[in-house]
Order: sequence, then structure tokens, then C-alpha cells
Amino acid sequence: MTQHISQEELQKIVKSVPMLSPSASQLLQITSRADHDLSDVVALVKNDANLTARVLKIVNSAAFGLVNTITSIDRGISYLGERIIVGIAVGDSAGKLFEKELSGYESAGGDLWKHDLRTAIAAREVVKQSGADISSELAFTAGLLHDIGKSLISDYLQGSVIEAVEMVSTENDLDYLDAEEKLIGFDHTRAGYELAKSWQLPDELAEVILYHHEPAKAKEEYRALVYAVHLGDNIAMMGGYGTGSDSMRYKLDQQYTDYIKIGPKTLATIMVNVDTEFEKLESSLTKSGEKN
Amino acid sequence: MGQIVLGVGDYGASNTPGEDVKTFALGSCVSVIFLDPKTRTVGMAHVALPDSTINKAKATEKPGYFADTAIPALLTLMSKSGCDKRGKGMVVKLCGGANVMDTNDTFQIGKRNALAIKKILWSYGMGAVAEDLGKNYSRTVSISVSAGQITLSSPGKPNWQL
Repeated sequence: MTQHISQEELQKIVKSVPMLSPSASQLLQITSRADHDLSDVVALVKNDANLTARVLKIVNSAAFGLVNTITSIDRGISYLGERIIVGIAVGDSAGKLFEKELSGYESAGGDLWKHDLRTAIAAREVVKQSGADISSELAFTAGLLHDIGKSLISDYLQGSVIEAVEMVSTENDLDYLDAEEKLIGFDHTRAGYELAKSWQLPDELAEVILYHHEPAKAKEEYRALVYAVHLGDNIAMMGGYGTGSDSMRYKLDQQYTDYIKIGPKTLATIMVNVDTEFEKLESSLTKSGEKN
Repeated sequence: MGQIVLGVGDYGASNTPGEDVKTFALGSCVSVIFLDPKTRTVGMAHVALPDSTINKAKATEKPGYFADTAIPALLTLMSKSGCDKRGKGMVVKLCGGANVMDTNDTFQIGKRNALAIKKILWSYGMGAVAEDLGKNYSRTVSISVSAGQITLSSPGKPNWQL
């Protein structure tokens, strides 16, 4: 049987999570600003010897198939793009959370990272293919972080999968968020939001974490970004990369059409691109989580 | 015992007794299953999208990815084990093709996959004798070559047969 988590307990759980590394934290701050450019990212990475080494190792890994070795960090960063640098820093810094087995969802270790990476890639593709006026790099970062709350509440959902799955039904208008709330008093978006505050993540990322299943509730200024991640999340689940028992058990907010224009053909193209990009990134980035 | 695991867009077949053909976590993807009683061959394709015209290069690289290229590819593969090239005498079963809740037309890829597959099967004079399609959960599917038995699983549900 599950028990409700009190607000105090939730705060304790959040406090027990290690802080992000200074580099990861600053990267998230800088790349969320509209007026930043790649040189800001380069300057930051250069100050962190470990991160510099990791970036060079990854850009020269087999997945990127470069003929000539890249030895300059400037070139490495511009080749990979800022989203992948953020992915490396966040993955290295919070790998344990991402790689954790989500037993409360009957989901194996590593599934969450794969789902998040899939969502990140899909959210970016959604922005690129729809031509929405949002940063596609930021959509990637937001996608990577959107489900971080599942790591926090999974242990408390242990043994609840059968009950949760039975609770979810279209007739009763209940999705898996409602099931989490009924079972432990909080859903994963709320838990993730508390962690976002503790990590002092930029507002737009915290907003995505809190509202990725209910984008209409997000602040107007961030709403398009939240919708992009909402669609990315659904695309990840449809492609077979969920996190166990909750996969496909969420509602699509059809109002996305006010912010993001995609038809069936574009969606199909997005899905193919996500598969291709995922193959490339998974092999090179996933190791970052394992080593923690 | 051996196991052939198929990823998204893969297709494969086996006539080795004791072996399983398996695919994990079908979301909106559909698993097309051919059972040939004559040669005791089992075949499966993990189809992701209905129509290959959106990306010909992908279809060449992974024919199993699209409904219209997966079925001919699977039939050709199985014909190497002595099965009929046009699927005569084969038992067809389909599963997967889930949709998220409150989906709209654009996001009903699961439904479009199933429809496209049925249309192509029809053109071969084939049709599914059993199907477990749609709804809003992911499915893992495993076929035992010896028994020709198809077992489905999904977290929070008891396993079931197709």
C-alpha cells in the first residue's frame, strides 16, 4: 500500500538530492537567456577541465564519425551544439537520478534517461519542423529535465502499479497524474517542480517540469515551449520509449494547435528524425550517466 | 533458449524450435505477425509508420519501418524458409497501435498504422484472424516458435495471449 507524502517529507526528499554541478547549473542559466550565444557556453566549458575532456571525448566518439580528431574545445562545442553540451553536463552531474530504476513504475534503470533524451530530441524536432518561434535548443534542454520528478517519487509508488493502471480511464477522465496524486498525494510534475526550485533552475524550465502534462496552465510567455515538450513527451511514448506503467496513459492537450502547427506528414517526419538522432546521441551520451 | 529481439523498424523470422521472436514496448507501432503452419515459421515486423513515401532512404535502410515496405520484406524473408511468397496459407495476427488519451487525428499514428497494414494485407488477399490494437498502453509481444503462441505483456496487467 502506498502512503501520502506530506509537504514536509517532499521537502526532505528534495533536500536529499545532490545539487547540480556549478557548470551544469550555470549552463542551464546561460542557455535559457534569449540573448546568449555560443561563446558564453565555450567560456564556461573552458573553466571546467572535466567537462572539457568529456566534450572532446564525445565529439570524437564513433557515433559522430569524424574523419579528423577535434582537439580544440571551441570547435568541439560548435560541432556538437549547445544542447549536447548541456546534455553532457546535466547527465554527468545528475546521472544517478536519470539512471535510477523506477520500480514504482516497473521501469528498468536507464529507462528514464532514454525517455528524457527521446523527449528532448522530439521537442527540438517539433520546434524545428513546425517553425514555431521558440529556441529549439531550449526545447531540448527542457525535454531532458521534464520528468525528473519521477526519480523522486518512484520509491513511494512501489507496489502501486496494478492499482494505478486500473485507476486510469478515459470514461472517468483520470490519467496517470491523477493516479499518482490519489496514491501518494503528489504527482511527478509537482515533485519535479520542487526540485527545480531547489536547484534554482530558470523559470521556463521549472514551468515545463510543472506543466508538461497541462500546458494550458503554464504562463503565457512560456506556453509555446511547454507545448513543444508536451508533444515531445507524447512522441517519445508513442515511439515505445516510456517509463513503464504510465506510458501512453496521459492526455494530449489538443490546444497545442494554437501554438504549434504540425500535420500528420510532419509528425511522421519528426518521428523518423527522432529515431535517427536518438541512435546517434544515445550511444555517445548515455555512458555519462552510467559512470556515476 | 534463443531469442530474436526486434527493435523499431526491424523484421525477422525463425523456424528454430525453442526460439522466441520478441519486441519490446509497442506504443503507436504495430507488430505484424505471420505464422506459417506448413513450414512452422514465425515472422514479425515492428512497424513504426504507415507510409514510406515520406522518407525513401529510411525505407531502403529499414524496410520494416513502414507498413508498405515491411509486409513485402517480411514475406520475402519468410519465403527463404519455404513459405509462400504471397503469404498463402499464413495466419496473420496484429497487435500494438496504441494512442495516447484524448488524441486528435494528427496524433492517431497507432490507428493509421493499423489501417495501412490492413490495406496492404488486403492487396495480398491476406487478413488478420486476431488482433489486439489501439487503447492507451504499451505492449511487449513474444512469439514462441515451437507453439506458435503469442504472449503479450504490459506493466500492471496480467499477461495475455493473442
